[in-house]
Amino acid sequence: MNGSAALVDNANASQSRRVFWDQDVYQLELERIFSRCWLMLGHDSLVPKSGDFITTYMAEDRVILSRQPDGSLKAFINSCTHRGNQVCHADSGSAKAFVCNYHGWVFGQDGALVDVPMEERCYHNDLDKSKLGLTQIRVETYKGFIFGCHDPEAPSLEEYLGDFCWYLDSIWDTPDGGMELLGPPLKSTLACNWKVPTENFVGDGYHVGWTHAAALQMIGGELSGLSGNRADMPFDDLGLQFTVRHGHGFGLILNAASSIHVKRDGYIKYINETRGAVRAKLGPEREMLYVGHWNTSLFPNCSFLYGTNTFKIWHPRGPHEIEVWTYTMVPKGADAETKRSMQREAIRSFGTAGTLESDDGENMSSATYNNQGVITRRGWMNSSMGLNREGPHPVFPGIVGVSFIGETSYRGFYRFWQEMIDAPDWAAVKAGDADWDKMWTNRNFWPERLAAQQAEPQD
Amino acid sequence: MTEARKTVGMELHHAIVSHYSAEARMLQNRQYRAWFDTVIAEDIHYWMPVYEQRFVRDRRPEPTPDDAAIYNDDYGELKQRVDRLLTGQVWMEDPPSRIRYFVSNVEAFETAPGEFEVFSNVLVHRNRRQSEVYVHTLGREDKLRKAGEGFKVFSRKLILDARVVQDKNLYFFA
Repeated sequence: MNGSAALVDNANASQSRRVFWDQDVYQLELERIFSRCWLMLGHDSLVPKSGDFITTYMAEDRVILSRQPDGSLKAFINSCTHRGNQVCHADSGSAKAFVCNYHGWVFGQDGALVDVPMEERCYHNDLDKSKLGLTQIRVETYKGFIFGCHDPEAPSLEEYLGDFCWYLDSIWDTPDGGMELLGPPLKSTLACNWKVPTENFVGDGYHVGWTHAAALQMIGGELSGLSGNRADMPFDDLGLQFTVRHGHGFGLILNAASSIHVKRDGYIKYINETRGAVRAKLGPEREMLYVGHWNTSLFPNCSFLYGTNTFKIWHPRGPHEIEVWTYTMVPKGADAETKRSMQREAIRSFGTAGTLESDDGENMSSATYNNQGVITRRGWMNSSMGLNREGPHPVFPGIVGVSFIGETSYRGFYRFWQEMIDAPDWAAVKAGDADWDKMWTNRNFWPERLAAQQAEPQD
Repeated sequence: MTEARKTVGMELHHAIVSHYSAEARMLQNRQYRAWFDTVIAEDIHYWMPVYEQRFVRDRRPEPTPDDAAIYNDDYGELKQRVDRLLTGQVWMEDPPSRIRYFVSNVEAFETAPGEFEVFSNVLVHRNRRQSEVYVHTLGREDKLRKAGEGFKVFSRKLILDARVVQDKNLYFFA
């Protein structure tokens, strides 16, 4: 390892291809990112009642998430403390106890070791069960979304999301109750590095018209203008890009929330009925976010499209493979029929046979596997689109890029990726809080742009 | 287990098996428009539910069309999927992949005059680019009705055996 300067070059908006290929880099990611960041586990809606559980992953670690009788959540490693066998093989269910198939050890719904067969005769009271509970994981929620973290020194979830909470509240803290997840998840594998889909969702407005040309043409509506990257496609004022301290980011298409859905009457009605209350509670800028379409990633490996309402976790399986989980994210306050319709449309477009999702798999796999060639992977990738057409904004937190089609959010993602790879601990990360965004040198971009727009004659 | 009902006679069984073979050949030859027009009825429900790995003791009901499903299409929605393939802009299918179907275990029951409930197993092989091979096994529960000299399907339920799908997409018709 030559240090991360050999992997990310922020000044030139560039990343080494080794970030998608090298085993060494992946091991460092497991230690420095997946073991220290908050990772998506699910939503309250997936485990509403005492005893409800789901099994999931934090990177390659198998995890049980379980609702406790007092309403709290616990998460613990799904591996028996005896010889390591997986304790629970079901995707979900309700359980007051988990019994290991190997020797019959019984763990409570909180992961404590409560019973061991033939304990008196075999262990002669020498076994300290209190030290043999399933390994516990720190769990916190934000507006119903559940995250887990292995690092006791990591900041709170809310600090980790940081300024991104201001954005997320536009959709997760609405007067109508925010959003929830509908399961069960669709699951599939894809032979690519986990960062390829994550970067795509965090900031790739550029690929939409070309990769998804066929589907956009078929769906019609406002986004069909992007299909095939026609010269007359709308571009100016299409939207914006956002990136924040800890690498979370999104691209925004204005006024386009439901535009990927074909059957969307219920959704349009719901947005029209609720946007006024969002404006009253959160202000006009966040109303604008509420009615737009987002392509988003939460660092490191959770993504969603708000509006389309597909919700993804890219579970890494080594540097060259992921397991894709797909949920649907819906407004809690929508009626049952509208939620069902949203789920059908979200999966129709972005499920395993998705009309848009089906276009992406090969690009992502190929972008990973071409680096098998030793000459190929000496190269560097380019993420310079919109460089310097971005900066701090008087209203929107973090760094804001001028277009939905740009790579501001890529640059922010890899900036923080590099920071976490380099940081020996969270204290070192916190030490960089004050000037984290110094690489964006065009500090006057937005003040000047907004002043120029103010000075224009009104139509 | 012995099925209480009797399967259809030899002639009808042969007709249904031949129909399935012809359907598979159309799809193998990428004749999606012909497939859609000759095989799919206007009241089609084309459904591939998502099945979780659940304990035997779990009493939650089986998935319904209101639950998460990989396919959950009516006639118009299935037609749109075909339209996408015919735009000529599906780059992943240029050069085209190959798909091959093996339909077996066909059991057909006449449930009403000219209407049939048909069970079958489907093995699908996809070969993509140079050396990518993807294999899927599915159970299939069809409701067919006689249409002219052949049959049309008005209900198709596809039971995917894999919980985690190992393929770049499941965008093919079975």
